[in-house]
This record gives sequence, structure tokens and C-alpha cells, in this order.
Amino acid sequence: MSGIIVFSSKIKYINDALPLAYLLKEKEEIIGVSCYEKNLEEIANNGFDVFYYSETEILNDQWYEILINIANEIKPKYLIAPSSKDNIEILARIASKLGYPMVTDVSNLEKTNDTLIFHKPVLGGRATAIFKIQKDINLAITVPLRKFKYEAISTKAKILKIEKIPVSQFQIIGKEEKKKSAVKIEEADIVIGVGRGFKAKEDLKLAFDLAEVLNAQVGCSRPIAADYKWLPDDVWIGISNKSIRPKLYIAVGISGAPQHVSSVTDSKVIVAINNDKNAPIFKYADYCIVADLYQFLPILTEKLRKFKKS
Amino acid sequence: MNIAVFIKASLNLNLIKVESSGIINTEETPLTISEYDKNALEEGIRIKEKLGGKVAIFSALTYGPITKRQADYERIIREALAMGADEAHIILDEKLINATTFEASLALAHLTKKVGMFDIYITGEASMDTSSYQFPSRLSSLLNIPVVTFVRKTDIQGKDILLYRDLEEEIQIIKAKLPVIISVTGEINQPRLPTLKQILQSKTKPIFKYNLTDIDIPKINLGREIKILPVSRKNIFIEGKNLEEVSEKLIDYLFKEGVVKL
Ligand SMILES: Cc1cc2nc3c(=O)[nH]c(=O)nc-3n(C[C@H](O)[C@H](O)[C@H](O)COP(=O)(O)OP(=O)(O)OC[C@H]3O[C@@H](n4cnc5c(N)ncnc54)[C@H](O)[C@@H]3O)c2cc1C
Repeated sequence: MSGIIVFSSKIKYINDALPLAYLLKEKEEIIGVSCYEKNLEEIANNGFDVFYYSETEILNDQWYEILINIANEIKPKYLIAPSSKDNIEILARIASKLGYPMVTDVSNLEKTNDTLIFHKPVLGGRATAIFKIQKDINLAITVPLRKFKYEAISTKAKILKIEKIPVSQFQIIGKEEKKKSAVKIEEADIVIGVGRGFKAKEDLKLAFDLAEVLNAQVGCSRPIAADYKWLPDDVWIGISNKSIRPKLYIAVGISGAPQHVSSVTDSKVIVAINNDKNAPIFKYADYCIVADLYQFLPILTEKLRKFKKS
Repeated sequence: MNIAVFIKASLNLNLIKVESSGIINTEETPLTISEYDKNALEEGIRIKEKLGGKVAIFSALTYGPITKRQADYERIIREALAMGADEAHIILDEKLINATTFEASLALAHLTKKVGMFDIYITGEASMDTSSYQFPSRLSSLLNIPVVTFVRKTDIQGKDILLYRDLEEEIQIIKAKLPVIISVTGEINQPRLPTLKQILQSKTKPIFKYNLTDIDIPKINLGREIKILPVSRKNIFIEGKNLEEVSEKLIDYLFKEGVVKL
């Protein structure tokens, strides 16, 4: 029987790929490949027919060799993985080796009798590319983390330990855990997004003060986290990190690059504060305020405080 | 150090031409160097400046029509040469128009092999237009050279290279042997702006042009259409005689929307 391989180097992401696997499944078995975790059996029995696991976490080139071996045996119709950075690297390499086309970050799938129609965000998320692919073509696919909701399906998986782990060409010589914030930005009702309009880390206090009155969380554009490290990476909003859908998003000193804006478009109301009246962010906002954030934020915060008291 | 850098001529996101149907007219949209490919080139140039050697650019035109695009495309390649690369190898072929990473990687892997061996192959983490993220991995499989993606710092030590990978929850430091293929993030460096002198000098640097007569590219027939997402927002500019008044109006709107509770 042919199969669909669902892979993730980190087991905690693996369920993110299952909904798409089930949408594509016709008669194929669902074959999971990942690494060991205490509740492996439970995970495997939640939708997998077969589950291969490695006892320890291993490197990308080792996964590549292992998956190629499994794929050569199974001849998978589809290879599916959640879009973590490691998974994309590994899957694209395998896709190339097997001669499969690959679609990364699939956001939607439609099926007709003989074609599959995939949607994928492009142009920084401003647009959707629509790929039409004949059903008889083998494919590799990645799906964004947390994109599709998984309704567990109960299965009885055959669980197999991967015995032969190939030698890596690399050596890990260090690891620095990233700072984590206490909050989950994707769950907040109100998010204030800060961008390069802030000139120094201390100035972010203006945004945190506003957040306090509004009971909001502070998120940011990519440069604020990745470049300047003023805020932890887990509050960076955009296509290369997190999507949010709060009731209210307030973008302060953010220009409105598509890679940022596309991850906030599901917000109910968007407010933009920027001193450049031509900033693209205003096109994506409901309420637009052309002002210097250094002057405007303290006034807004103060007014809200007064409202709160009265 | 022999360095290969891969540059994509991407659709310019600021100058997108959209048909009334919402479909993007790629033929009318100008091209530009994909944002993070500039970081790839900058990293290549910095390695050369430190350790000596040569930087060769590789690129394939994937947006047509070629006759109309060629001048614009060569301008982009000249811009990359002006930053400090030594030569460019580019593919202009109808077979690659509207190619996906699948075909483009086949063509570029083939060309790289033909031009020679390199110690390090550098790409951006993803292109800014189609963002498939697949190119470095596909190159790795086709050239049979190890790949390390999402690198935000490099440190070459003899035949070894230390690579700092920027992952979701950690920075992973990997030691690899040369040759290696790496993709770099936008944070790895600040790409330089070429000086006027460098721009003039770039005119004398060689651009080698190729077509695909000797490479067999399988066609995978991925029908593709790019559709712009509609934005419908209220776009109300709030004005007032001073910022106090603007604040009050904003607060009023937010209460009416029911999105703040104090
Ligand atoms: C493949 C790829 C992936 C990317 N992923 C992401 C991502 O996930 N998230 C992301 O955010 N970006 C991402 N980017 C980067 C993106 O293209 C932009 O570079 C980035 O979002 C810009 O951040 P910014 O708006 O904070 O800064 P800028 O673009 O520099 O904007 C700063 C804004 O502040 C305004 N300003 C300045 N001073 C003041 C003041 N005193 N008061 C009020 N306003 C002021 C300016 O008018 C300007 O509009 C990605 C890019 C690529 C190519």
C-alpha cells in the first residue's frame, strides 16, 4: 500500500501536519516519522498507521538519510511536514532527491476529480499563489505551524524504532536558548505592535505604559526582535514568525511591510500611528493617526488612564 | 576562498501591477534583487575581504518576456557586481520563464558545476516574492554538498566553519567542513551601498550568459496564478486641533467598535 509520510524533527509540531494529510488521503497509510517523547504512543495512536521514531534528537542531515531510506521503501505519494525551519530544510532536500515538486506553507487546499489546488501566501503575504497540480504527481508539502486545527482520529499505530542512525557531517558545538516572554502574543485580545519608529530600547516604555492601561500585550516587527533584540523573538509578528488575530491591533512606528501586515490582517480593528502620512501601514488600518509617537503615545495613555478612573 | 552567491531577480513588492481581476500582472511588474540575497552577497564579499579569493554570482531569470526584461535584469546583476562581486554567470532561457524553485535549482546546480568548485555557496533564507525556502536544500541534493540554513553568523576557521543558525526557539551553533552551502537570514549583516566608483567599475566586470541547450529540464506543469488579497479597512484619518482631541476621538471610535474595555 502506498503511503503519506508525515514528518517533523520535533515531535511537538507533528500534529500540525496531520489535517492536511487527512485531506489528501485516499487509501494511503499515514506514516509518522519523528523523535521520541514520553507520550509517543498516544501521539502515534492519534491518526498514524505506522510511526517511526528516533530515540534521541538528531541533526538534519541524519534525518535526510533516514527519510530517504524510508521513502525508498514506501514510495510515498506525499511527504508532509509542519513548516519549522529544520523541517523545511530537510523536506526540500528529500523532495529534490526524489524528484518531487514541493509547495511550502500551504494555507488552503481544494480538490477536484483530477487536480489539487493549493493556496500559498506569496509577495510577503500580500497575495496568494494558486497552484494547480495533477493528482497523479507525487508531492512534498509543508504547512504553517498552528494553521490547521487537528481533530484527533483514533488509530492503532505500528510503532517502530529507527535502529540505524547515520553519522552526521556536522557537529553541534553549542546552543543558546532564546529568551521567552511570559505571554502568548497570539492569544491576546489587544496587541500593540512596535517598530523601528522607536529610536531606543528604553523608549518602548511608552508602548508598555499604553499596554498596561489597555490590558494589552506588546509585539513587534522583525527588526525589533531579530536585529536589535529589544524584545524576545516569540513576540515578533510576521510571515517568518507569528500570526495574530486580536480584537484590536495598534501598529506604532511600523511602516507596513507586507511580511508584517499579512500576519495581522485577521485582526478585528487595526489602528496605525506613524509620522509619515504616506506610510503603507495606513492602507491596512481602520483608524489612522499621523503623529510623532513620542508625542502621541503619552497623551493617549494619559487620556485612557483618566477614563479608567472616572 | 572561492565563493558562489545566488541572486534572484524578484518582483519588486513596491511596484506590483494588479489587473482589475486581482491577478498580478507579473510581466508589467519591475524586478529587483531579492532582499535577503543582498545579505548573502554581503556575507560573501566580507569573507573574501577577510580571507582573499573570488565572489561569483549565479542567477537565472524566471520572469519574462526575456526580450523586454533583459536590460532590467542586467541592471540588477550590475548592481550586485558593484557591491563587490567579481563576475556573474546568468541564465537567460525561455524554459525557465515562470519556473519554480524545482526547475531553477536544477539549472543553477548544473551551471555551478560547469563553472567550477567553490568552498562556500551562499543564498538568502528565502526569496521575497515566492518564498519557497527550498533553493539551498535543492542545491545541496543536486551538488551533493551539505547544507546549513538560516545562518545569522559565520566564522571560518581554516577548513572548518562555525555557523550560528537562528531557529524558532534557539540559536544552534554548528561546526561544518568546507565546502558547504548556507542560507543566511536578513540579520546576518547590513548590506553595503556601492559607491559611485564601484558602480562605474562594475561595467568592466564580466557577465557570462548561458542558455539551457545542454541541460534537460523536466517540465512539471505547475499551473500558477498570483492573486492579490483584497484589503478592506475603513482608512479613517483622525484629525483634530491638537493631539488631545485626536486621542479622544480615537478612544471614542474604539469604544464604539467594542474593542476596548477599561
Ligand atoms: C523573507 C522576508 C521575511 C520577513 N519577515 C518579516 C516578519 O516576519 N515580520 C516583520 O515585521 N518583518 C519581516 N520582514 C521585514 C520587512 O520587510 C520590513 O523590513 C520590516 O517589517 C520593517 O519593520 P518596521 O516597520 O519596524 O521598520 P521600518 O520599515 O523602518 O518602519 C519604521 C516606521 O516608523 C515610522 N516612524 C519613524 N519615526 C517615527 C515617529 N517618531 N513616530 C511615528 N512613526 C515613526 C516611519 O515613518 C516608518 O514608517 C521580512 C522580510 C523578508 C524579505
